[in-house]
Amino acid sequence: MSSTEREFVEQWRNAAYNCYSSGHKFCREVCPVTQVTRNEVHTPTAFHANVVAMEKGLLSIEDVARDYVHCTQCGACELRCPNTLFTGDFYRFRTRTVQLVKAVRALAVDSGIHQPGWQRWVEETNRQKSEPVLGDVPVSQEHVRDWAAGLDLPVGGETILFCDCEGAFHRTSVPRAAARILQAAGVEFGLMREQWCCGGPAAEMGYAERAREFARHNVEDWRAVGAKRIIVFDPHDYISFTEDYPSYFGDEYDFEIVLFVELLAELIRTGRLALTRPVERVVTYHDACRLNKRKGIHEAPREVLRAIPGLTFKDVDHVTQWSYCSGAGGGLSIERPDLTAEISRRRVEQAGGLGVDTLVSACVWSERPLTEQGGKLDQPLEVMDLLEIVALSAGLEDTP
Amino acid sequence: MTATLVTDPVIDELVGICGPDNVFTDRSSRVNRARVPAPFPVHRWAEHVPDVVVLPTSAEQISEVVKLANRHRIPVVPRAGGTGLTDGAVPLRHGILVDVKLMNKILEIDLDDRTVTVQPGINMLKLNEELRQHGVIYPDDPASYPCSLVGGRIGTSGWSLIGGRYGHTRDLVISFQIVLPTGELIWVGDGGGRKVRKSSTGYQLKHLFMGHQGTLGIVTEAVLELVPRPEAEFAAFFSYPDYETAWRSTGALAKSGLATLAGVVLFDEWKLDYLRRDDEAYIPQPDDVRCVVATAMYGTTDEVRPGAKRLLRIGTQTGGAYLGDEISQGDWASRHDRYATPLHGRLRDGQVVPMSWHCEDASINWSKLPQVRREWHDIVARLGDRFRIFDDWGMFAYTNGAFKPWGDYLTEIDVGIWEQELDDAAWDAWVTAKRDIAAVAIAYGGSISACHGACRAGEVDLVPEELGGGWEVMKKVKRVLDPLNIMNPGKYLLDQAYEGDEP
Ligand SMILES: Cc1cc2nc3c(=O)[nH]c(=O)nc-3n(C[C@H](O)[C@H](O)[C@H](O)COP(=O)(O)OP(=O)(O)OC[C@H]3O[C@@H](n4cnc5c(N)ncnc54)[C@H](O)[C@@H]3O)c2cc1C
Ligand code: SF4
Ligand code: SF4
Repeated sequence: MSSTEREFVEQWRNAAYNCYSSGHKFCREVCPVTQVTRNEVHTPTAFHANVVAMEKGLLSIEDVARDYVHCTQCGACELRCPNTLFTGDFYRFRTRTVQLVKAVRALAVDSGIHQPGWQRWVEETNRQKSEPVLGDVPVSQEHVRDWAAGLDLPVGGETILFCDCEGAFHRTSVPRAAARILQAAGVEFGLMREQWCCGGPAAEMGYAERAREFARHNVEDWRAVGAKRIIVFDPHDYISFTEDYPSYFGDEYDFEIVLFVELLAELIRTGRLALTRPVERVVTYHDACRLNKRKGIHEAPREVLRAIPGLTFKDVDHVTQWSYCSGAGGGLSIERPDLTAEISRRRVEQAGGLGVDTLVSACVWSERPLTEQGGKLDQPLEVMDLLEIVALSAGLEDTP
Repeated sequence: MTATLVTDPVIDELVGICGPDNVFTDRSSRVNRARVPAPFPVHRWAEHVPDVVVLPTSAEQISEVVKLANRHRIPVVPRAGGTGLTDGAVPLRHGILVDVKLMNKILEIDLDDRTVTVQPGINMLKLNEELRQHGVIYPDDPASYPCSLVGGRIGTSGWSLIGGRYGHTRDLVISFQIVLPTGELIWVGDGGGRKVRKSSTGYQLKHLFMGHQGTLGIVTEAVLELVPRPEAEFAAFFSYPDYETAWRSTGALAKSGLATLAGVVLFDEWKLDYLRRDDEAYIPQPDDVRCVVATAMYGTTDEVRPGAKRLLRIGTQTGGAYLGDEISQGDWASRHDRYATPLHGRLRDGQVVPMSWHCEDASINWSKLPQVRREWHDIVARLGDRFRIFDDWGMFAYTNGAFKPWGDYLTEIDVGIWEQELDDAAWDAWVTAKRDIAAVAIAYGGSISACHGACRAGEVDLVPEELGGGWEVMKKVKRVLDPLNIMNPGKYLLDQAYEGDEP
C-alpha cells in the first residue's frame, strides 16, 4: 500500500465501517446508477466496503478506481441511509458517500490513475478556463459573455450573476432568462470580468488541485470588482460555492451565495416580479439532485411553478424523487454517456406517465440529456428550465 | 470438492454463455460479493471470495452456467440482494457466483387472476412502485423490504411483518421456475399450474425449494400473489411497565381473531434501551416504559375502523397504555429502518463504537417466550463478560395472529459486535454462543430459525438434532438432486450427504 493510500484509509476507515457494519444496502434501490447497471460494485455500500477491503489488503486503488466512475453524486444514498436518518447529527456522523466518492477519485488521480474522458476534460477546461461544452460553440474567455449580447449588462458591482459553463456556451436561453428576470425585478447586478469554470466538476472527478486553481481565480475576480453577493442559478455552482469554496478558503471566504430559485420565489411572493401571462402547459418538475437531495431545497421551485397562471402542475412528491436523477452529474456523462442516457430515459418515462407535455428542471446540466430523451418518447416531452418558463409568464421572452 | 477449477477456458465458456459484459473476474467484483450484512471475521474475508462472477440475463444462461459447472465440478453460489443474515450468499468454496440482479423485470401483471410474474432480481419496493398504479400490491414486507430481492426471499423463505393479514413469502410465492443443480429447468408450485394456489397433485415440491439457501438450484422466474392495495392502515403501539404484562398482552392481541390484524411485535427492555440511544428520529417515551407492543392493521376502511377500536380496547384492557397516534404511526412508518444502527453500539464503559448487527432468529411458541428470552439474554451476558466487543441489543418477537397456521413467534435476539476488533478467540466464543442459543430454541420445542435460515457456523451444528429423521431425508434429497455437490457446497453441513464418495 502506498503512503497516500495508507493515509486515505486511515482517514476514512471508521466512516467506512459505519456503513460496512450496517450493510443493509437500503441505499441501493435509490441509486440511479445501480438501478441501471444492477452491479454490486456500483453501489454506495460497495464504495464504503472497498475502504475496509483496502485496509485488509484485499483491494487496492487500482482495483477499484474505475468503479467510482459510477456515481452522479446525487446524494440519494445519503438521504436513504438509516444511519443518516436516525443518528445524523448526534454523533456528528452522517453517511457521506458523495464526499467519499470524491475522495477516492482524488486518491486515484494522486496515484496516477486517470479516467481517459475525465483527464481530457480537465486538460481542455484548463486550456479554455471553461468546460469544453460539446458542439460547435466556441468556448474561450473571449466568448464567455457572448450569451449576454444585447442585454447591456455591466461588469462588476456588489452583486454578481455567475453563469456556469453549460449556460454560458450551450443553453444560453437560461442565463438570458435569468438576467431579464433580474432586470425586470429591479435587482442590480453585474458579470465577472473573467469568469472561469467554478471548478466543481474537476473536484468531482478527483482533480482537486485544478479545482482549487479555478476557485482561487474566481474568488480573486469577485474581490477585484467588489462583489459581496453571488447569484447562481446552476445547482452545481451552488454546491461549489457553498461547500467546496468554504473548505478551500476558510474564514476569509465571506461571500453571500444566493440561489436563484430562492430569490425568484421571493421576488414573486413580494410582487417584485409579476407573472401575468398564462402559460398553457401541463408540467411536472424534475427535482434537481443538488437542490432537493443535497441541499433540501424543494419548496421554492414548487412555489414558483404554482404562481404561474394557466399552468397545470402535476407534482410528484420530493421524497419519491429521491430515486430519480438525470444522470448528468458527477462526470458520469463523460465517462459513461450510455448510462446517463438510460438514467435520463427512465426519468422522462416517469414524467411521461403523468400525462404532461413539459418537464421543468432547475438545473441546466440536467437539461441536455433530459431534452434528448424527452424528444424520443412517443408523446415527446419538452424540457424547459424554470427560469425560461417564468420569463414567459412575466412577458420577458427573448426576441433576438 | 475442495479446490476450485475455474481456469481461463472456463471463463471463456462463461463469456460465451453470458456475454463479455456480464462476466467479471476483477478483484473488486469478486470481493464485493463475498459479504452479507451478518458479521464474519473480517480478517478472513479472503476465504470467501468467488473466482468469477456472472450476471446472467435469462434462465437459459443460468442453466448453461450450471451445466458447465457440473462438467468442471465447480461450485455455484446464487446471490440476489446479498442481505441474507445467514451467509447463504457467501461462497464457502470460491467458484462461480451467479448474481441475479440483472434479471429484475416484471414479466406479466395479471389483474384477472391476481398474479404478477417476475424475475428473481427484483426488489419488493420497486415492484410495488409499479403495482400500486394498478391498485394492487405484493405484500411481502420484511424489514429488508427496501433491499432484499425476490430470489433471496425464496432462497431463505422469509417472514413478512404484515404476514398475519397476507401470509409470508412461502404463501405469497405461488410457483416458480428453478434451474436444478444439474442444469435442468423445471417449474414448481402447488401442483403443476403456474397460477394455482392450492393443489393436491403430487408432492408439495414448492416447499422443498423454499428456503434451501441456494443448495438446490437457482430460481429464475416466479409467480407472486397480488392483493388489493390496502385502503386503510392503522398502527397502535402500547407501552408496559414490565415484560410479563407485555407478553400476556401480546398473546391477547394476537388471539383477538381480528382478520385485519397484520402484525404484533413485542420489544423487550433491552431493545427499547437500544432504540432510545441518541436516536434523533426516535419519539421520546416516558422513562417508565419498559416494553412496547406494536400492532398494525390493514384492510378496507370499513373493516379497519371498527377493528381498530377493538384492538385498542384489548391492548389497554390487558395492561398496555396507548402511546398515541404520533408514536404509533411514526414508528410503524419507519419499521424498515431501525434495525442496524451501528453507532448505537456501546462498550461496557459506555463508549460508542461502530458495531455490526447480528441476529439470531428462532421460531418459538408464545407460551415459551419468557423462558427463552431469559436464557438467551444470559448467554449473551456471559459472552459480554468475557469480550467487551459484544453488546446486547435486545429482543423482539413478532407474530401474525395465533389463529393462523403461521402464528408462531419469530423470536430474535440482536447482538452488536465490534467487528473491527473481532479476532479468532472472540469469534469462536461467538460461534459457541450461537450454538447455545439454538439449543435453547430446540429445548423449548421451537425451531432454530424462523426466517433467516440456519446454515451459519454455530447453529448449523444443531440442524440434524432439530430435524431428526428429516435430516437423513434432507441429505438424500440433496444427493439425488445435486449428485456432484455443485450448488452452494459446504452450506447446511450437506457435505455429509457425500461422505464416502471419491474426492
Ligand atoms: C435490515 C435487514 C432486515 C431484515 N429483516 C428481515 C425480515 O423482517 N424478515 C426476513 O425474512 N428476513 C429479513 N432479513 C434478512 C434478509 O433480508 C432475507 O433473508 C432475504 O430474504 C434475503 O434476500 P436477498 O435477496 O438479500 O438474498 P441473498 O442474501 O442474496 O440470498 C439469500 C439466500 O438465497 C439464495 N438465493 C439467492 N437468490 C437465489 C435464487 N435466485 N434462487 C435460489 N436461491 C437464491 C442465496 O444463495 C442465499 O443462500 C433482513 C435483513 C436485513 C439486512
Ligand atoms: S450507505 Fe447507508 S444504507 Fe447504504 S449500506 Fe451503507 S449504511 Fe446501509
Ligand atoms: S450519490 Fe447518487 S449516484 Fe452516487 S452512489 Fe449515491 S445514490 Fe448512487
